[in-house]
Amino acid sequence: MNCYQCGCTLSEHDFCTNCGADVALYKRIIYISNRFYNDGLERAGVRDLTGAITSLRQSLKFDKNNVEARNLLGLVYFETGEVVAALSEWVISKNLRPKKNIADDYINMIQTNQNRLDTINQTIKKYNQALTYCNQDSLDLAVIQLKKVLSLNPKFIRAHQLLALLYINSEEWERAKRELSKCLEIDTNNTATLRYLKEVDEMLLPEENGKGSSKKQKKSNEVIKYQSGNETIIQPANMKESRGVTSLLNLGIGLAIGIAIAFFLILPARIQSAKAGIDEELRKVSEQSDSKTATIDELQQQLGVLQAENETLQQDVAAYMGSDDGTLQSVESLLRAADAYLTDAEDVTTVEDYLDQIETEMAEEGEQENSEAFDNLYHTLLALVGPQVAESYDEEGHAAFWAGNYEEAIPKLAKAYQYDPTNGQALFDLANSYYRSGDETKAKELYQEVVDLFPNTEKADKSAATLAQIAGAE
Amino acid sequence: MINFEEELKKFHPSLEVEDAEEAIYNQDLTDMADLMVKIVKESKKAGE
Repeated sequence: MNCYQCGCTLSEHDFCTNCGADVALYKRIIYISNRFYNDGLERAGVRDLTGAITSLRQSLKFDKNNVEARNLLGLVYFETGEVVAALSEWVISKNLRPKKNIADDYINMIQTNQNRLDTINQTIKKYNQALTYCNQDSLDLAVIQLKKVLSLNPKFIRAHQLLALLYINSEEWERAKRELSKCLEIDTNNTATLRYLKEVDEMLLPEENGKGSSKKQKKSNEVIKYQSGNETIIQPANMKESRGVTSLLNLGIGLAIGIAIAFFLILPARIQSAKAGIDEELRKVSEQSDSKTATIDELQQQLGVLQAENETLQQDVAAYMGSDDGTLQSVESLLRAADAYLTDAEDVTTVEDYLDQIETEMAEEGEQENSEAFDNLYHTLLALVGPQVAESYDEEGHAAFWAGNYEEAIPKLAKAYQYDPTNGQALFDLANSYYRSGDETKAKELYQEVVDLFPNTEKADKSAATLAQIAGAE
Repeated sequence: MINFEEELKKFHPSLEVEDAEEAIYNQDLTDMADLMVKIVKESKKAGE
């Protein structure tokens, strides 16, 4: 203890040995301050934080330089969640005694951890927000906000009290009691907490108040009774005592529920997932199969088309081969006719036979293109032997005609006219032969040809007359 | 019976960390020792 006037260390005397100042009252003040500090320390030791705060503040009112009291006050503030108040006390303490001060450690503990400082600040802001919600009658939001505050700083007494007050207001007595119990765990002698708790207890045990027999009180300690509407709820008070067993039981139940969820939710989901995978694979395989089937069908169709084309081509080839045979036979006949003519030019009958054979084959095969050399040779031979052949057939035909043998005359006269188209008489007599043999249709055709090809001739007149006669007979 | 409105008035916003400096400066640190010294000084002046 130092003299308030000169700063000299004081002795047991009531005056300063250095400056002579009267320090009796000053010493008394310092003693009182220390007494309050000791009281505050004792109260803090039994977690009577409210009492400790009161005592320590009193101590500082007597002696602001009581650094121990100020540091302890900061620590008690910190314990109740009042971090800014704690910091304030520690900062002042540090200013009063810059060296060898534990407040320095406390400040560093908070300031060096930026995250912790942010969390503290966030907690305070949320608490203030909750208070604003309360004043705006948004009590639900306030409850939510206070729960967040307490999750960040579970020792914040004022937040617990405010939450308890909100629960009391909404008549959620059990919850209020739970919050107040937490308050009491931190600060055992907080006046507000005790007042709220008394209110809550009265609401939970209305019929127990005032009757006060020791038996009933004992019983009331064992059970918690409260009114919920028309029903009285009786709950054993020692439920919390079996917390360990309850925890194990809850753990077991949780484990069972977890296994049940795995069996009933996760496993079916996995099976479903596996099934979906298999279905997907099946779908892909099916698609591939369909694609291949379509390809096979397409190829089979192509095969059918190709087979049809092949058959057509084979038929064409066969037809062509057959035509070739005919063509070859015609060529062969033409060569033989040429050979016969070159061997004996007078033997027109042989030549005519071959030419006739060629004509027959050409008539059978229909009109087709022959080579130019073939046509030239054929027509040359025809021109060379034609007149002689025509003359021969004409003679033989007329002989048969005059003999009345029309069946023999018809082919010969036809040949005579074929090899000599200028032979109108042969044509006329051919028509007569048909007429006389009874084939009037062919006869009419040939008479008309005579009329058309040889007009202004006697044959034409006769033919016209015969045609008129036939027409008249019909 | 607790009056919610009245009780609510007893709750005040908490100081934020940013406001701590101002709170420290504004804190009245006058103690009994200061008052005593002041009284002694004033009485001395009066005696002179």
